[in-house]
Amino acid sequence: MTLVLESQLPLLIVMLTLGTVAKVRTVGSGGEPGALSRLGPAVLVPGRMQAPALLVCAAGELVLAAGLLVSTHPFFRWGTVAFFAMSTYVLLELRRRRPDAGCGCFGEVSSAPVGWRSIGRTVALTGLAAVSVWSPVTGWAAAAGWVIAGPPPWYAAAGVALLALLSPEIEELIDRVRYRAPCEQRHGPAESVTLSKLRSSGTWRAHHQDLVSAEPYDSWRELCWRFFAFRNHEDDDVVFAVYLSGRRPAVRMAVVSREGSDSLPDYIPVSA
Amino acid sequence: MGHPSVERRRVLAAAVLGRTGAVPGADPGDEEPLRAVVGEVLDVSPHLITIETPGGVQERLVIAPWATAWNGSDTTPGDLSVGSMVLMRTLRDGRVVERIWADTTRITGTILSITGKKDLTVELDCGPHRGHRSVVIPYRASGRLQVRHPQFEPGYLFDAIGIRRDGASLALLPATSQPPYPARSVPPPPPAYAGTLSRIAGTATWSDTFDEEERGAAYPMLERTDTGCPKTGVSCAGLPYLAVGSLLQVRNVCSNRSANVPVVACGCMAGRFCDRCVECDTSPRGRIAELSPSSYVELGGELIKGCFNAQIGLG
Repeated sequence: MTLVLESQLPLLIVMLTLGTVAKVRTVGSGGEPGALSRLGPAVLVPGRMQAPALLVCAAGELVLAAGLLVSTHPFFRWGTVAFFAMSTYVLLELRRRRPDAGCGCFGEVSSAPVGWRSIGRTVALTGLAAVSVWSPVTGWAAAAGWVIAGPPPWYAAAGVALLALLSPEIEELIDRVRYRAPCEQRHGPAESVTLSKLRSSGTWRAHHQDLVSAEPYDSWRELCWRFFAFRNHEDDDVVFAVYLSGRRPAVRMAVVSREGSDSLPDYIPVSA
Repeated sequence: MGHPSVERRRVLAAAVLGRTGAVPGADPGDEEPLRAVVGEVLDVSPHLITIETPGGVQERLVIAPWATAWNGSDTTPGDLSVGSMVLMRTLRDGRVVERIWADTTRITGTILSITGKKDLTVELDCGPHRGHRSVVIPYRASGRLQVRHPQFEPGYLFDAIGIRRDGASLALLPATSQPPYPARSVPPPPPAYAGTLSRIAGTATWSDTFDEEERGAAYPMLERTDTGCPKTGVSCAGLPYLAVGSLLQVRNVCSNRSANVPVVACGCMAGRFCDRCVECDTSPRGRIAELSPSSYVELGGELIKGCFNAQIGLG
């Protein structure tokens, strides 16, 4: 019987932590102005309070997750029940007042309008939290018990399956992976990051002693390439092109004479 | 960062990636090439117009019998007044005029304030490069403009075509149906499939903030750090990133003409508009390029219509 009581604690802790991370990332990334105003409980507060409201919510979740993990104090147990019960009320209210807004439970991933699945999930989480109130061990001990005493019992897996069924975010994530914007439409890394990737490439090591200065005189991005233009000692242009995706991207270089049209293309595709 | 030589970027990029260097200008097609000619009217008669180009050269052009003119309303070429700035669509290497637009201007921006009771004065923010602009909406045009600008209040977008008269800009015709969202919340582009299309469709518009005879385009999707334009990189059309200096191949779907046009400026204002062009069919949403008037006319565009359905590719 005690196994049943503690079986849902690790799941609750994982859910709360994921919620915290996703909310902090959403606030941190900023996005387009106005994006926050379409998310979750934040739409119910005035504009300048929206980011702090999301952060306070994230901090609350983190405190509850940490409490469930290391302590058996009833404050955290009942706090979790109260948190999810309140979320259910907030989502119902959100659905009534702003049917266009997403629940924001997992930051901007939850931007689809609140449906019965999101509300069902908070109800389910309230139930799971209520079951865990009388668990005799901490979340940490429950998870450690699975590692020592064999695989988790079937009702833990059932909890995961129930939540997965009630999470519209999973479909959203699958869609994002499938329809990922091609590299040329994505916001590129900063110029300095690409420049340091160039400097750690074999092509750069082979040619950098010919350059007058290690700083490019011009740099621009076109499609999935960033170009850096340098001068060499013969006053020709040396141009490097660095591919923008991948950890060790392809680097190409060419020397182009400054006397107008007759270029001396010298491509060296390097798999650096 | 400045642009030491944006022309050079094209040569360097072509050399390093082994592209064949395309050249700016119209693609030779089946259609008879159009040329845009800009100048100040020195003398005009029903069959002949004499202008002074911005370079200070006098030119005499023949007016075709079917030619029409616009100077705030439709008129005949012979009725144009001396001293007005004209942009003409010409045939036969720029010798025969078939369409004249006099003192035409386009006012695109975000509404900052609206004052006045009968004739309205609208203050607009036209983007970081173009600054603020003040425009007068005469009473007779205000109904026509407001019906296409239902959110006629600060923070929303404004786009109109009009004329310059005595140093003031008069807005006369709406250039689009105003997008229903405030200028700062542009909808995100539709989800893209990995493996992009080689051509992107949308609407191409024009703007008069280019130099008089310049051929070029302003493009919304540029990297902010490269251009020093904090408002660029926004578009609802799913555009690829390009640079100032890239060559854009623009095709006018309505007139079936295409041309290679260099990107010369950041199109931060164009990127805010998520509208469609219904010039010959209904285009997908989003402005994909804002052309200079000369490029726009040479692609077969009609200035007072404000847009044409376009496809773009990398030249």
